[in-house]
Amino acid sequence: MANLLWLQGGACSGNTMSFLNAEEPSAVDLVTDFGINILWHPSLGVELGDNMKALMESCVSGETDLDIFVFEGSVVNAPDGTGEWNRFAGKPMKEWVKALSEKAQFVVALGDCATYGGIPAMAPNPSESNGLQFLKRERGGFLGSDFVSKSGLPVINIPGCPAHPDWVTQILVAVASGRAGDLTLDEFQRPKTFFSSFTQTGCTRNMHFAYKVSATEFGQRKGCLFYDLGCRGPMTHSPCNRILWNRQSSKTRAGMPCLGCTEPEFPFFDLAPGTLFKTQTVMGVPKDLPTGVNKKGYIKLTGAAKSASPEWAEQDMFVV
Amino acid sequence: MGAIPDKDSKTVLKEIEEMLADGLKTQTEPFPETAVEFSKLLDELRALEPDDLEGRLVIGGFTDYPYGEDEMRCQECIYYLVHRKWCDLPELSVPVEPNWWCRLWKI
Repeated sequence: MANLLWLQGGACSGNTMSFLNAEEPSAVDLVTDFGINILWHPSLGVELGDNMKALMESCVSGETDLDIFVFEGSVVNAPDGTGEWNRFAGKPMKEWVKALSEKAQFVVALGDCATYGGIPAMAPNPSESNGLQFLKRERGGFLGSDFVSKSGLPVINIPGCPAHPDWVTQILVAVASGRAGDLTLDEFQRPKTFFSSFTQTGCTRNMHFAYKVSATEFGQRKGCLFYDLGCRGPMTHSPCNRILWNRQSSKTRAGMPCLGCTEPEFPFFDLAPGTLFKTQTVMGVPKDLPTGVNKKGYIKLTGAAKSASPEWAEQDMFVV
Repeated sequence: MGAIPDKDSKTVLKEIEEMLADGLKTQTEPFPETAVEFSKLLDELRALEPDDLEGRLVIGGFTDYPYGEDEMRCQECIYYLVHRKWCDLPELSVPVEPNWWCRLWKI
């Protein structure tokens, strides 16, 4: 039996909603089949008020073993580093986060806000938000770059806005079933099993990417979303087109650009006017090219691909 | 915005060819260096009447030849549909020739 405690900081509950929709395994499976004892969760917890506070104090004192501590949302430090803007059970949430992280065998940051600061931490960051072990790309975050939980692992980051439900439950099962040693993390502490490939991997619009045919409006049934609509699929690490959403589709398949929500910089360009859903260009050439592609090569490829483009690439295709 | 109403593609193409050949002065400069500048041009185009073909050509900065040192042309632009000979940027939506160019060019 692995005890799990889940708290929310500067959060919209999106990752909780996603988690509750998990199917393989489901949230119920975690309890019935995989031996996870959910001590408390914002949407599932039974305890309230003083009882909830006593439960957390019991984890902090060591009376109750805390195996997995999941934190959703940013760590709010405002005003002036006090964390008073986000109080919980009698004190700033950040104090609970610090104390519980020191006691937990594993600490899991869930969603872009908990991992890298996310939307709350975008400039000018009025809530003084931080991720658990990163602030955007900068290592450190609230717990500091040297932090490791009792198991010896740093914070396990599961980014996304929200994270796919199966990423969450599968990581929790791996940890709870003693297979955490199988997890290898990338430079941003994301499990490589999910975050080594790109969003573009498996995208049904890859042929339009290859032939440089652009989608110019949301939901269009032809064209690649990278060229005009700001899709970040070619440079975002996520399995969104391998592990489908609702088991049947993805943003890009449905004609909605990838926003890059599993990368530390999300939301890119701090949502400045003119940057959302628009490919950023310099003199007509995309500012951010697909990972590993240089400008000269990109221009040559464009010319060749357009010349070779078949007629069907300009027609609507079947999309789910 | 969208295609010029009530006209087939060949007729519109011919009209554009004639306007450009007759020396229609279009705004080839300044080239929109950033996405924000690009968006401003799109706003100007959206403000035109749906049948204002000349307005689209002028604001778009159309030329009937490749443009600049790099000889930029529709053929390589991501909005150009090779087989339809068509500019698929919704704010323009006009038939074009592969050797033409406009300042909304993008690859």
